[in-house]
Amino acid sequence: MKGMWKIARWELMRNLTNKQFIIGLFITPLIMALFAGVPLLLDRLNHPALSTYYVIDELGALQHLQAIVPDNITLEPYANPSAAADKVKETDASGYFVLSQDFPVTGQIDVVYNDRSMETMNALRGALTALLQQLRLASSQISPEQVAFVTAPAQVKEIAIEEELEPQAMHMAVSGVFTILVFFLIFTSGTMLMQSALQEKRDRMAEVILSSVSPRELMQGKILGHFLLGLIQLGFWIALGLPIARYFWDFSVMEALQAVNLPVILFFGLGGYLLFSALFVGLGATMEDLQSASNSQGLVLMLPMLAFLFLGPTFTNPDGTVAVFASIFPFTSPAIMMLRTGLTRVPLWQTLSSAGLLLVTALVLMGLAAKIFRVGMLMYGKNASLKEVARWLSYKDN
Amino acid sequence: MDGLQVHGIRKVYGSTAVVDNVSFSAPQGRILGVLGPNGAGKTTIIRMIMGITAPDQGEVFFTSDGVKTKGVPFPTIGYLPEERGLYKEAKVMNILLFLAGLKNIPKIVAKERAATWLKKFGLEDYAHRKVEQLSKGMAQKVQFIAAVLHEPKFVVLDEPFSGLDPVSQDLFKAEIRALAKSGATVLLSSHQMNMVEALCDEIFLIHKGKEVVSGHLEEIKERFGNFRVNLLTRSFQEPFLKTNMVEKAEQLGEERYRFILKEGIKPLEFVQALPPGLDIRELAISRPSLHDIFVNIAQGGASDEGYVENSSLGAYA
Repeated sequence: MKGMWKIARWELMRNLTNKQFIIGLFITPLIMALFAGVPLLLDRLNHPALSTYYVIDELGALQHLQAIVPDNITLEPYANPSAAADKVKETDASGYFVLSQDFPVTGQIDVVYNDRSMETMNALRGALTALLQQLRLASSQISPEQVAFVTAPAQVKEIAIEEELEPQAMHMAVSGVFTILVFFLIFTSGTMLMQSALQEKRDRMAEVILSSVSPRELMQGKILGHFLLGLIQLGFWIALGLPIARYFWDFSVMEALQAVNLPVILFFGLGGYLLFSALFVGLGATMEDLQSASNSQGLVLMLPMLAFLFLGPTFTNPDGTVAVFASIFPFTSPAIMMLRTGLTRVPLWQTLSSAGLLLVTALVLMGLAAKIFRVGMLMYGKNASLKEVARWLSYKDN
Repeated sequence: MDGLQVHGIRKVYGSTAVVDNVSFSAPQGRILGVLGPNGAGKTTIIRMIMGITAPDQGEVFFTSDGVKTKGVPFPTIGYLPEERGLYKEAKVMNILLFLAGLKNIPKIVAKERAATWLKKFGLEDYAHRKVEQLSKGMAQKVQFIAAVLHEPKFVVLDEPFSGLDPVSQDLFKAEIRALAKSGATVLLSSHQMNMVEALCDEIFLIHKGKEVVSGHLEEIKERFGNFRVNLLTRSFQEPFLKTNMVEKAEQLGEERYRFILKEGIKPLEFVQALPPGLDIRELAISRPSLHDIFVNIAQGGASDEGYVENSSLGAYA
């Protein structure tokens, strides 16, 4: 046990004093902000695309149409098509069209365009459709009130039979955020952990360390160290991001924490971390370096991604078979169970069986990883094949 | 008796026994050399002693202060593995403190000892440098320090001299002797037998996973090697070659001769029997080197003469 803490402390200190790690600590939120911010910014730059169409109004409905089209589309009357065409070329307007007298009958209209913005074209199409409907209804002598009455949508109100069933925005948002955080922790710490095992091999340090601590202690120390490191990372980012988040969306932290089932989230977060870290650390011990990872090793590396497949189905139907399965299956349960607790009331038997299965799987994987680790750490210069790994698992401990 | 005992260990990889029924004991305060050519099974033996690989059969015992234990005594053992390495991006002092910490040495004590050792090896200016800035030899010295910083009772060194220059080799030899003198049980391995035979008190020769010969160096030499005489002279007469003291006589060069004396013939008797007035330019009398003994036994006496030649002449001529 003592050895484990010493290894953990070394891993922690080694990274905390590592320039790359510290730079990453600051750069990562910056990159994330960039990724979130840039599309928003681009959208904003793109959005107020003003466009002008010249209309040859034979029908006398231009005023009507002007009232319907969105604000960013300007419609200007013009005398005849050929003059309009010249004008469009000259002024770089979006296009022109003829609102002909038989439009209410045929519904046909030719829009001659200069720039083909999907968005404005769709908006124009919508407006013209609305105009067509109005014109046709007016000609069949139905009053506007009647029209409104007929086309009004049904007003559906969702009332949960029990209050807890009611999806709360806060609930969903907080559990969603937690799911993402845990995922992030698993990925970053997991890969760092694997690299740390690889490094132990690359630097040929394993044997020296193993003359002071048992392989199990070394492995557990690494897992613990990188877990703490991950928590520090997360803590730092939360401390950085929380004031910003509160500036944009007014909410209280205590309220947010009360909105979720904290014990469940902590258990599944920790369980998921243990499971995947055992997987990663064992995987690292079988590899020579990341570049030479074989297909089977790559597959294991992708395993945490499996949960992504179930995010959609879980959102749309949190009590469906798929969601229930994914929240019990141990390789997807950490993320999916966390998500489900935010979306619905999970039956106790499901929570318990999922938790139990996760715990057992994590422990079994830990045991297997320890066996792989003790042999793999001393194997230099090549990737282990599946067959070799299977043989390692059959070695007895001494 | 305190020390390290190995009882009948065996390790099989695939269908070959890499180590087959090997037993020896390394007494406290002495240096045991496990010697043999590359691939003889030395590192496998050492890894089994260190508990890194488990033997298929047999046991390893550590006895200190009269207490015999089976598991590796982590705090009191020091190990220099054959695969050399240190964390590349870590600083020398930090690694030494970390490794000493794993052996339960308080930081203050470890710092002081590390400084002393670094100074001894001329590395005091590198204490706060990163390992990647060290040369290979320097890194090996740092590793050696890491293996002995905690003043272990058992010291296991796998090929400690490989890759070192002669000056550093002598430095290591002196430190290893000092360790044994201070009461540590030292076990080292080497494939360069001639280089370490003078260092070791006890020898364990191994070939293809099996013991070839073991024991006190002098006893082994007495047991297996008659004296050899290398003679450089101009005025030698042929009939002498047939004297009854000589088992084998050869002319190696125009003026160079070598005799292997018969069993029981003392060097002095041979020298006295040399023809009067012989113009001796060089005369060397020696036991055969461990290497010669090894080659003789391992290859059933059918040794490659040229091979033996080089080693003995190289060493004594």
